[in-house]
Parts: sequence; C-alpha cells; structure tokens
Amino acid sequence: MPGYMGFEGRINALRRGPVRERLVEWREMAPILALDGVKRFGPPMLGLGLFLATWQAGHVAYGAFILPSPVQTLQAAFGVLTTSEGWIVLGATVARVVAALAISLLIGGFFGLLAGYSNFGRAMFAPVATILLGIPATAWVILTMIWFGPSHGAILFTISVVTGPMLYIGMVDAVLTRDRRLEEMAAAFGASRWAQFSRVALRQIIATLAPVFGIALALGFKVAIMSELVSNVAGIGAALARSRAHMDIDMALAYVVLAVMGLLVIEHGLIRPMQRRVGAWKRVSG
Amino acid sequence: MSGMTLATISHVYAGRKVLDTVSLVIRPGEMVALVGPSGSGKSTLASIAAGIVKPTKGRILRQYRQHAMVFQQARLLPWANARENIAFPLMLNGLRKREALEKAESVAEKVALLPEDFDKMPGELSGGMRARVAIARALGVAPDFLIFDEPFAALDPALRRRLQDLVLSLGQDRAFGGMFITHDLAEAARLADHIAVLDRQGKGVLGTLTPPGQRGHRSDVDIFDFVQQSLYGDPLLSDLVHVDERAMPLDLVGDAGLGPRRCC
Ligand SMILES: Nc1ncnc2c1ncn2[C@@H]1O[C@H](COP(=O)(O)OP(=O)(O)O)[C@@H](O)[C@H]1O
Ligand SMILES: [Mg+2]
Repeated sequence: MPGYMGFEGRINALRRGPVRERLVEWREMAPILALDGVKRFGPPMLGLGLFLATWQAGHVAYGAFILPSPVQTLQAAFGVLTTSEGWIVLGATVARVVAALAISLLIGGFFGLLAGYSNFGRAMFAPVATILLGIPATAWVILTMIWFGPSHGAILFTISVVTGPMLYIGMVDAVLTRDRRLEEMAAAFGASRWAQFSRVALRQIIATLAPVFGIALALGFKVAIMSELVSNVAGIGAALARSRAHMDIDMALAYVVLAVMGLLVIEHGLIRPMQRRVGAWKRVSG
Repeated sequence: MSGMTLATISHVYAGRKVLDTVSLVIRPGEMVALVGPSGSGKSTLASIAAGIVKPTKGRILRQYRQHAMVFQQARLLPWANARENIAFPLMLNGLRKREALEKAESVAEKVALLPEDFDKMPGELSGGMRARVAIARALGVAPDFLIFDEPFAALDPALRRRLQDLVLSLGQDRAFGGMFITHDLAEAARLADHIAVLDRQGKGVLGTLTPPGQRGHRSDVDIFDFVQQSLYGDPLLSDLVHVDERAMPLDLVGDAGLGPRRCC
C-alpha cells in the first residue's frame, strides 16, 4: 500500500480498478476525500468570502455611487465583454504587454546571456542594470510621455524598459546557477560548445527563467495600464481614465475586475502551464 | 588498440597546482585503477584524459577509437528519462531520436535495467539504477576506452559489489580498457589490472602495482600495503613495491609514448 497520497493521488487511485471494488472504495474514501477537499479549498474560499463580504459591507455603508456591490460590478464587467469595444480595449492592452515582453526578453535575455557567460560583461553591465532597476516604473511613464508623447510606441518602450532589466538579472542568474557538471558530461561524450549550450545549458536556463518571466509579465500588465491611463492611449488604462472623467464608478470597477481576471487568465492559462512544462524536472530531481 | 599515455601532466586551478608532473601509461585493453586521497586531483586527471579539461602542461597520446566516461553521481540529465539519458550521447553523435532510443533500450538490457524503469526520471530511480543508466549511457557509444570516476562511491557495499560484478562481466571480453578511479582499495583490486597512486599533493603517480593474475583475482592485503606506503612514504616498504616504468616521467621511459614492452 502506498503511504499518504494526497488529494489528487486518491482521486486517481479511485479511477483505477474494477467497478464494484471502486464503489466500495468510494464509500470508504468519500469522507476522507471530503475532508481533503475542505482542507485544500476551505481556507482560500473563506478568504475570498471574507473579502467579498467586506466589499458588500462597504457598499451598504457608502452606497452604490461610491462603491457598487460585487454583483453589480460583475454584471458591469460581463457587460463590457458583450461589446466589441470592450474586447478591443482588453485586446489592445494584452497585445501591447505581449509585444513589449517579447522585446524585453530579446534584449534583456541577450545581454543576460552575454553577462552570464562573461565575467567582463557581467561586471560592465552590473551598474547599468542596478540604475535601470532602481528607476521607478512611474518615472518611466512620465519620461516616455515627455520624450515620445502619447503613443503606442511609448507604452511599448515603458513596459520593455521596466521588465527588460528584470529579465536581464533573471537570465544572468539562470546562466550562473546552471549545473555545469552536466555540460562536462556532455563534453566527455564529444559535445561541441554549441551542443553543450543548446542541448544541456539552455534547458536549465529556461526552467530558471520561467518564474521570472511570469513576474515580469504581471508587472508589464500593471505598467501598461498605468501608461495607458496617463497617456490616454486605447486600452484598459484609458478606459479607466474615461470612467473617472465620467465619474462612472461601475465602469471603473468593472475594468479593474477585468484587469485582475486578465492577469489570472494569463497567469493560470499561460504562465503556470508553461512553468510546469519547462520546470517539472526541477521538482523531481530536487 | 585502446591505450592512453599521459605524459608529465601538470595542472593549475586558480593559481594552485593540482597535478604536478604526473605520468601514466595505460596499455591497450588494460584497466588501471587510480587511487589517492580526496583532493589529490584524480577527477582532474580523469577530465584531462577525457578531453574535458586541457592540462596546463603535458602531453597526451590517445590510442583508441572512442572513449566514454562514467561519473561520480551519475550526472544524468534531470529532465530526461532513463531511456533518453542513455540515448543522449548517440544523439550527440548525430543519430536520429528514434534510432537512438531504440539502441538505448538494447544497451539498457545489457546493464540489467528493467523495462519498467526505462521511462522513469532520474529523480525516481534508486542510486544503483542511476549508476546502471550512467554505465549504459557510456556503453551506448561502443567505447574501447572507459573512464570511471568513483561511480559507486555513494552506494552501499552490497550494491557496490553487484555493480562491480556488472563492470567485470561487461569487460570480460576485454572490449574496453581504461581508468577506474576509486578510493575503495578492494574495488580497485577487483576491477583493475594495475593500480596507480596519486599522492596528496597531486605529485606524480607514485607507482603501479603489477600483480600476477587477472582482473578480479588479487590479494587485497598486498595492495593495501602498497597504497599505504605510497601515500605515507615509508622507505622500509619501498622494497616491497614494484614501481614500474609506467609510473616514471615519460622522458625516462623514452619518447615513443608507450615505453618498453615487458612481454607479448
Ligand atoms: N574547476 C575547478 N576550479 C578550481 N579548483 C578545482 C576545480 N576542480 C577541482 N579543483 C580543485 O582541485 C583539487 C583536486 O580536485 P579533484 O581533481 O576533484 O580531486 P579528487 O577527485 O582526487 O578528489 C581540489 O583541491 C579541488 O578543490
Ligand atoms: Mg573526484
């Protein structure tokens, strides 16, 4: 008999075996499963419930003009999703974030690789990275507004310049923390320097960089909204600015909800699965 | 022909001399055990022999078709299962993935790896199984020169013995010679034809034992005396030790590379 299997292990175990035995097992396991489920999903549900209750209480105390109820807000959010303009607004922000992250991965990643493999490069880029990382995202929003005016390109630049140094640092770290003994192993079997990099080092680098990329993407999303808000270029941020101008709190909150949901979708639909794919072996090998 | 001559090798790591004019001759088909305290530069010498590290000084004469190496702690790719790990060097050599994986399976059987382990990731394999995968990975390229760097050091004695038996049976037809690094003298005695000793300062190979008999049949006591006195330099024992020419710096052996042959 296996020891403690955890929730998924038990569910999977129940899926195997002949039907009759499974039914008996189900009867025996049901209370344990229920308890596991409560243990696993109980605390987050409780937290979410408390949050919504506080929100609702705020709504009751201050009225719909200051704070619409959670239900009203969700309705407004779905309302946005039923219009094509709504999708264009969301799409503009998402497309910008994706494009900017690609740029910063290309540039930050390239310099990170250089610095990871060369002590000289690392020492040279270190102060530059420190300075760039030290500049607050809001400062970049203002600076790029002054330099480029309100434009699509300006926002791309802002997001890239904020996330690029993060990806640079992450890349340097990924290169430095890789297990070089594996490359030695490959070399002993006649691998060229390129083969050592492409077949052995790169796998590890990607696995280490993936979580950093996830953080950069989330940050990029926030910076995009902030830039759009300030520069009034189409997107979630601009929609927020418009709601503020119209004192339309329903709409403002609806876009906030959509932004949060967008982040969740990116996080759980894209980043987490990707991290699982490229990093699964890290957890097994320990 | 599958021998190697390491001639007056010195190596410096970050200003520190790790190997100091070490010479070692491994004749075709011979398995030479290399023993010595930890930090004496055994792994460094192995890396030099395998071509991973270029020595600061010295010459290497290689007389074999293909070498392969089995490392301390297996060094399996953690993202690849057992089969893919064995196939890795084959794919490096340009074999297509399908063929490499097929070949990997047939090699895996030689080291008594069970089919149910083929798909397991390194983290799911026991230490003994990982060592078997590492040996299979080396055998896959059909080497005639094999370098083992303390492959069983972390395993318990019973398991170590079984894996030694495996190495003995694989080497029975003298398909390969090479270098077996260990600090287990009994292991050295079982697996090697000769034993070479590296001392604390990475100073020369002090001597090699050239016992009568074959791999796997030797008195552990003699070897122990030999190593003891090589490492601790008791002059009284020097008569007991047969320091042969393969331990001498190459310029004493002659420039031919392999030095004078004793017999056949
Ligand atoms: N890549 C390296 N860089 C610097 N020093 C090293 C490196 N590899 C080994 N050394 C040093 O060289 C010495 C010999 O190491 P090693 O060859 O691994 O010895 P052994 O295998 O006999 O234990 C040790 O002191 C070790 O710290
Ligand atoms: Mg070592």
